[in-house]
Amino acid sequence: MMSHAMIEINELTLDYEFGGRLMRALDQVSFKLERGEVLGVAGESGCGKSTLGLSIIRLLPKIAKIKGGGILFKGRDLLKLSEEQMNREIRGKEISMIFQNPQSALNPVFKVETQMTDVLLYQSRYQNEGRRKTRNEIKKEAIAKLKETGIADPAERISNYPFEFSGGMKQRVMIAMALSSKTSLLIADEPTTALDVTIEAQILELIRDMHAKYKTSILYISHDLGVLSEISKRIMVMYAGRIFEMGQTEVVLQEPRHPYSAALLESLPGTHTKRDRLLSLPDFVPSLDRLPSGCSFHTRCRFSKEICHQKVPPLLEVSTGHWSACFLEHQDKGKHKWKWF
Amino acid sequence: MNLQSSPEIIGATLASGMYIKRSWSSKARVAFRAIFKVRGALWGSIWVAVMISFAIFAPWLSPADPNVQDLDHLFASPSFQHPMGTDYLGRDLLSRMIYGCRIAMMVAFGAATLATIFGVILGVTAGYSEGGKIDYALILIFDVVRAFPQIILAIAIIAVLGPSILNLILALAFTGFPFYGRLTRAQAMVVKESDYVKAAVSMGLKHHKIILQHIIPNILIPVIVCLGMDLPWYIIYEAGLSFLGLGVRPPTASWGIMLRDGYTYIDTSPWMILWPALAIASAMLAFSFFSQGIKAALDPKKRER
Amino acid sequence: MFKYIVKRLLWMLPTLLGVMLLLFSLTYFLPGDPVSILLGPRATPDLVVLIKERLRLNDPIHVRLGYYLLGVLKGDLGTSVWSGYQVRSLIAKELPHTIVLTFTSLGVAALFSIFIGVFAAMRQENRKGFTVTIVSLLSVAAPDFVWALLLVLFFCIKLPLFPALGAGVKGDLIDMAVHLILPATALAIPWFGYLSRLTQESMNEVLGSDYIRTARAFAIPKRIIAYRYALKNGIIPTITVLGMGVGKLLGGAVFVEIIFNRPGMGKLIVDAVYQRDLPVVQGAILVTALMFVLANLLADISYAFLDPRIQYD
Repeated sequence: MMSHAMIEINELTLDYEFGGRLMRALDQVSFKLERGEVLGVAGESGCGKSTLGLSIIRLLPKIAKIKGGGILFKGRDLLKLSEEQMNREIRGKEISMIFQNPQSALNPVFKVETQMTDVLLYQSRYQNEGRRKTRNEIKKEAIAKLKETGIADPAERISNYPFEFSGGMKQRVMIAMALSSKTSLLIADEPTTALDVTIEAQILELIRDMHAKYKTSILYISHDLGVLSEISKRIMVMYAGRIFEMGQTEVVLQEPRHPYSAALLESLPGTHTKRDRLLSLPDFVPSLDRLPSGCSFHTRCRFSKEICHQKVPPLLEVSTGHWSACFLEHQDKGKHKWKWF
Repeated sequence: MNLQSSPEIIGATLASGMYIKRSWSSKARVAFRAIFKVRGALWGSIWVAVMISFAIFAPWLSPADPNVQDLDHLFASPSFQHPMGTDYLGRDLLSRMIYGCRIAMMVAFGAATLATIFGVILGVTAGYSEGGKIDYALILIFDVVRAFPQIILAIAIIAVLGPSILNLILALAFTGFPFYGRLTRAQAMVVKESDYVKAAVSMGLKHHKIILQHIIPNILIPVIVCLGMDLPWYIIYEAGLSFLGLGVRPPTASWGIMLRDGYTYIDTSPWMILWPALAIASAMLAFSFFSQGIKAALDPKKRER
Repeated sequence: MFKYIVKRLLWMLPTLLGVMLLLFSLTYFLPGDPVSILLGPRATPDLVVLIKERLRLNDPIHVRLGYYLLGVLKGDLGTSVWSGYQVRSLIAKELPHTIVLTFTSLGVAALFSIFIGVFAAMRQENRKGFTVTIVSLLSVAAPDFVWALLLVLFFCIKLPLFPALGAGVKGDLIDMAVHLILPATALAIPWFGYLSRLTQESMNEVLGSDYIRTARAFAIPKRIIAYRYALKNGIIPTITVLGMGVGKLLGGAVFVEIIFNRPGMGKLIVDAVYQRDLPVVQGAILVTALMFVLANLLADISYAFLDPRIQYD
């Protein structure tokens, strides 16, 4: 019996086509997510991390075209499954996804009860669990889940409309819907970005508890390195559709092995000794339809050399379990400290 | 002039004045360019212009007198002599169509202009004095008039005043003004909260000046767009009322009267009814595309790269 | 919910009062001597005086107004000068026909547009999509009575498929339905374009929204998403517009009834106008206005029902 990684992405390449323009959102992205681990995906807006999450669960908009690569989930290529199969086996069952904006994630004109029971109803229906469950049984299940995620008075509140919940509570509802004993993978797309810091801490704790309880693998997407340092064991840094660095979170955050990761860390205010100015990189993130040749970061990188213009740096293992996509790093292997200031 | 204001507010006022002035000509230029970009807008504008020219230059453009009866050629199909055929009294349909266009444009623009002016004045007043007694009274007036389907109220007014073009214009203007009233009221309520209006108020500018200089210029664009969409309806109401005999009086040629005649003789000659129907349809489409063009042009969300 | 309804009903009262005042002033300002016009050659001086007395034309304006308002509240809308019948019985006879026609057109318009709109949205067409453009062009092209005329021309004269006149044999539902098809369609056509585009845009917006994405992430079947989750949000603008359109439909019904020679309020009003039968004109228009106001109220209430957030405004 071969033990598969939970998720194995191989050379995934994806373009957004609209208005005649071709935006390369993902470029030969490859990585593995092991069973039961929490892998963080870091990067600025537009780097492709959300697209990555949506690709796995295949909720991309019509303009997104996959140009190459495969997504293996427990050994099966998800890209080869039909829509019907995705619905029947994957979505909301083996793989669940929660999103960034809890405010708009629930349908405003239906009660929470309706939405949750619908989800659970279709879940059980698809899985042909013996006899059909009644709405009442499902309602009880839903109430139990709400309780599990920390909603007070769940039996009463389930009859409320979404606008009667606060942001944090709505996210708890989402987590309640997303997690069950059958969920193997949870994709969390910036679930706490829209929440206050204190609520954020609560939700993070809730996710950690759920992770401990159900041993779900989690792909945690966030631009907030602080959050990722708390919740993920491994982390990968993305930029303009490519993975630049990947490794143990502690290691990457303390000793980054890529100029971009280093820049990200250095630009966080307050993480080092007092300075006059904040670090900001020159120029802007390149538009995805006009990526520079070679390394997509070279136009802004103060360390770039001739080779960086010419060839795309591959993601290579520069030490055990630590990968970097920078030619200079490949050469010097950790000797370079990537200090920007 | 009261100088309770800080330099920021003075600056804002001056800037807002510049904003409004500059935006006029640039908006016009944008609108002009858009007419060529948005699909159909060009054709719509052309056709609207054509109809207006027919209306103005009818006596010169029309091949024959619309009322002359050619009793030898009744119900004629289109021919060289009568490009659109003739009606039940032998009158040339093309000429009647052209003069009908004149009536349509007169009634439409006349009534629409009146309705707009009246509606804008009342609406802006209502919006500006939001929540006050004046506001409530004006809303009530709007709602009372709006409680009737436009055509039916027009019928009632014509019944009282008697059918004639002028009465038609008045009746239609009266039934139409609440539309502009409510539109401008809603806009005025928003505009009066904007920074430059507040700045003007803090500088002691009198109410009517504020309305004239700041509020009205900023509500005009949507009003013009709505006017473009609304105009064809006046043409339709004229046609409808004349169809019922409550509008223009025969033998004056109007599209409505021609529809009536055509209806009476519908089994004898399809031409009598076809041309005015097509004319009304084309007018509706033309104005519709035209105003869509303007709307798309001035929609701040739709910026081309 | 209840409070909202009460609020709206309360606002209706001054509006209706204004409506009655408006109607009253119309008849008050009627030029010419209505009695002589009415009686025509039969007008002897004594008769004129008598009629004037009966119609209270000599009383001061506030008295006449008072009698009028009282009468309306009691349900008495006056007597037809032309036929002598009570206005309210005339209306009662004609009103059902108009209501049937109006609602049938509403139904036709709604069903067709919602179907087209959802269809176009599910195919992920954008605003300039094929389906909706065609439908829009056709429908914007002409107003209801022109469509009525064209329909008569093509489907009654050129191709004798449908009856052109009348409402059909009373009691024979099939016959009456057949007679309803063309008029209801004529009234509904002008709405197809706008309504289906509106539905499509609204559905597009809804389908792209976060909560629909959530539903898809949890594998709710596509059909359920479209017709349950999305539709309830998506048809809100359509229903609102439909409600507001009842007035235009009522107005258009006037013409359609005349063109198709159907019984109804349209015919009643227009004939009364020709005959200078003021009480009938007044009463019929009052009832029409009342129906219009009620229709708007219903539209607002159903809007509040569909979107529960609106009541808390």
